[in-house]
Amino acid sequence: MTSPLVSIRGLEKRFDLSGSLLEQITFEGGRFRRKQEAVHAINGVDLEVQKGEALCVVGESGCGKSTVARTVMGLLSPSAGEIHYDGQRIDNLERKDALPYRRKMQMIFQNPYASLNPRMTIQQTLEEPIRFHHPDWSQIQVRDKIHEVMHSVGIDQDWGNRFGHEFSGGQRQRIAIARALAVDPEFIVADEPISALDVSIQAQVLNLLMDAQESRGLTYLFITHDLAVVEHFGTRVAVMYLGRVCELADTKTLFSAPRHPYTQALLSAIPKLEDDRPNHIRLKGEVPTPVNLPSGCVFHGRCPYANERCRQEVPQLITTDGGTQVACHAVEEGRL
Amino acid sequence: MALLEVKNLDVRFAVRGGDLTALRGISFSLDKGERLGLVGESGAGKSVAAFSILNLIAQPGYIAGGQILFEGKDLAAMSERELRKIRGNRIAMIFQDPMMTLNPVLTIGTQMVEAILAHRNISKKEARAIALDRLQKVQIPSPEKRLDQYPHELSGGMRQRVIIAIALLLDPEIIIADEPTTALDVTIQAEIMDLLLNLCEQENVALMLITHDLGVVSQVTQRMLVMYSGRIIEQGPTREIINDAQHPYTQGLINALPQMGEPGERLFQIPGSMPSLKNVPKGCPFHPRCKFATEQCKQAMPEYVRSGNVNVACYEVANLIEQEKRMQEAES
Amino acid sequence: MTTATVSRWDRFRESFFWYSFKRDKVAIASFAVLLLMVLAAVFAPLLAPADPYDLAQINIMNSELPPVGMSGADPAFPLGTDAQGRDLLSTILYGTRVSLMIGFGAVILQAFLGILFGLLAGYLGGKVDAVLMRIADVQLSFSTLMVAIIVGAVFKASFGNLMFGEIAIYMLIFIIGVAEWPQIARTVRASVLAEKKKEYVDAAKVMGFGTRRIMFRHILPNTLSPIFVIATVQIANAIISEAALSFLGLGMPETQPSLGSLIKSGFDYIQSGSWWITLIPGLVLVVLVLVINLLGDWLRDVMNPRLYKG
Repeated sequence: MTSPLVSIRGLEKRFDLSGSLLEQITFEGGRFRRKQEAVHAINGVDLEVQKGEALCVVGESGCGKSTVARTVMGLLSPSAGEIHYDGQRIDNLERKDALPYRRKMQMIFQNPYASLNPRMTIQQTLEEPIRFHHPDWSQIQVRDKIHEVMHSVGIDQDWGNRFGHEFSGGQRQRIAIARALAVDPEFIVADEPISALDVSIQAQVLNLLMDAQESRGLTYLFITHDLAVVEHFGTRVAVMYLGRVCELADTKTLFSAPRHPYTQALLSAIPKLEDDRPNHIRLKGEVPTPVNLPSGCVFHGRCPYANERCRQEVPQLITTDGGTQVACHAVEEGRL
Repeated sequence: MALLEVKNLDVRFAVRGGDLTALRGISFSLDKGERLGLVGESGAGKSVAAFSILNLIAQPGYIAGGQILFEGKDLAAMSERELRKIRGNRIAMIFQDPMMTLNPVLTIGTQMVEAILAHRNISKKEARAIALDRLQKVQIPSPEKRLDQYPHELSGGMRQRVIIAIALLLDPEIIIADEPTTALDVTIQAEIMDLLLNLCEQENVALMLITHDLGVVSQVTQRMLVMYSGRIIEQGPTREIINDAQHPYTQGLINALPQMGEPGERLFQIPGSMPSLKNVPKGCPFHPRCKFATEQCKQAMPEYVRSGNVNVACYEVANLIEQEKRMQEAES
Repeated sequence: MTTATVSRWDRFRESFFWYSFKRDKVAIASFAVLLLMVLAAVFAPLLAPADPYDLAQINIMNSELPPVGMSGADPAFPLGTDAQGRDLLSTILYGTRVSLMIGFGAVILQAFLGILFGLLAGYLGGKVDAVLMRIADVQLSFSTLMVAIIVGAVFKASFGNLMFGEIAIYMLIFIIGVAEWPQIARTVRASVLAEKKKEYVDAAKVMGFGTRRIMFRHILPNTLSPIFVIATVQIANAIISEAALSFLGLGMPETQPSLGSLIKSGFDYIQSGSWWITLIPGLVLVVLVLVINLLGDWLRDVMNPRLYKG
């Protein structure tokens, strides 16, 4: 295997909930105590994104998938761990040193209604990043670049002096994609880029992302909760639960032979057109809050196969015969 | 006689610069114990249709014409007082956001008891017993405890269960569920949908399920109707439509699903997007996006034609049926 | 490009802003009155029959003449004269000019400080936010008028009456502007906090844009509508503050009277029957403040349709 384009190593992210020092002090059992609480959004994630692939990260709300995306893009700084791009550590760079990576790494957001600046025209939205990263370009070069990206995402040249709110969700998402493409990135993090869109529009945007991948040789880190999209779009899939990766595999392998009990439940829950009657694997309870993480395997509270070891010991990712990496004691012990 | 029959319903919104037609000529029926799906993209009018049944459309919307017959009585012509006797009692609603139904400052028990006492003349104790029974039915763990909890103490999935319990309180004939699982995670969504389906079967309650998710519709409902720009463009048995959709829009909607495409290949896509209510094109509203569109489609809205058990509003389908008929005649 | 180009004027005419303005009779009337007053004030030197600043034109013999329509009135002085024999109409025109100048000037200063500190506090957060907002809290806990009185009194004492008269207008703008910036800063901070969570700000960060660019080019334009509403109301407040200070003798000197100092100068004569010297400028002040506030209310309704009246 060649060296990965992006590698995430031992990533952890905690959000402090307890506020300032004064707010942390509580009066309990007759004396003052300092109480600190944190949301453990990511608890040790290792992922590598290979050049040219689309690595999908799936999971339910609160599993930390968006936090991974935002940490990779430098919108959040990791509590522990490192992010490397093309062999270079990027999570601790000064803003100035990070600029070249800002051009190479771009992001597409979930909500096209919030990701365009409402006071900027489409022209301004697309022009600003180009001028910022290529201050030496002439007016004509900038204009040609804008025309090129507008054309490649299928938006009309005439839209330039209109504002974002004049467009539908799908059109706005196209504009947001055009903005990301305007600086010629190599790597795009897409955080739930189609979940706010209507079904018929989702297909358009997915196609657009796939076309862009092909024509520009893009690499994607694709965050989504929709497994059907993953099956269609992803090269590899990482399933996350409560801030940990519980299974990582090729898309085909994962969908044909899911190993982790959570992945199995997730797959069986997708409403399919074919069956008349749903036949879901039922999980006990709901996702616990990431404030007080369960001990051992984060999934043990809902897992039908959990035993004493699962309650005590955190499972590590192990590679199985099928090439799937899975973090589960039951799989390791051959119980599953 | 059908339990609920909607005939030629027109709903308009009075806005500046005239009225916008949100629903045009909506007709469908719902039998006792039947499960009906309303499918469409945002802005298609599916929620407006659901809300207009109980005359709950918010200002500036109003019912401009048509009838909504519930057990033979026209809900559209009823006074607010008469309607209140039906709302929550004979016809219950489940919303996408549980907090639309739940009052954050009252306990679950208080809210459920109040809802019962508004319609039934029984003691508080009896009402509480009913509430507890419904909470057990929706399989909430430790239901007695839940009665004294506040909505914010429950998780999202649990809240939606409480909502279903509230909907079931007074043994309604119909439950209208507007995107009941859209805000939930897939695993929770699957559980809630299972629950709703089983309860409706057990209690023989008719379900009207509004959703954009074709997968859910195909699993839960027996009949479905597809809406586009405020019109029903196709309606019939769910299986028949899912397996062999007639209208080009329904076909496109199904084929655009990622699970219908080959992995790694481009998906089927319908060009463009649904027109806003402000500028619905003349004729068939789908014609600017339709690859079969002809001059005829731009002139007038097509009438419904029957294909199998499905009613479709499309000239192309009508022509195909006509052709088939002629061929059969020629053969015989 | 020509076909799709929509001029700013067309855009404006199609906007909700213009639409709701056209339908709101109160807004139209308020705007018309305000416009009239602003124009009259701006062109006061052309419109006024006399120049109240020119001592040569004043004749003490004409003092305390009543307005036209009362016995003893002189048709040369339609609104009568004040105690020094100045034509009241001219004095009011010039006074409105001074009041408006102070109102607008103070609000421009407030807006400058408020936007700058509000943006910094809201966007940078943390210590900067804590320090700036505590300063604002401290300042808000004093009454504006009290601060202004103290500062005004100190200045008046140290510069002397004559010098103070020359710089009074700038002093008042400074005092009122500095005293009221926390109002705007808080509004700006609140909307910055809401805006900075939106994805377009993340998109700008991902592009590598610097803090200053994101603050001023991306966030600031999106916080302008509430600032606009507050600033309108603040103009009225500044005019009132100025009138109050002048009434207390800490504002504009009687040689270049504002509406407030006119009211004060007439107040001494109200017992002797010359009520018009106080009442007419008082009415003008009330009308001016009222129309600005009505416009402010209307603006608030338009810019934030979710906040209905009452």
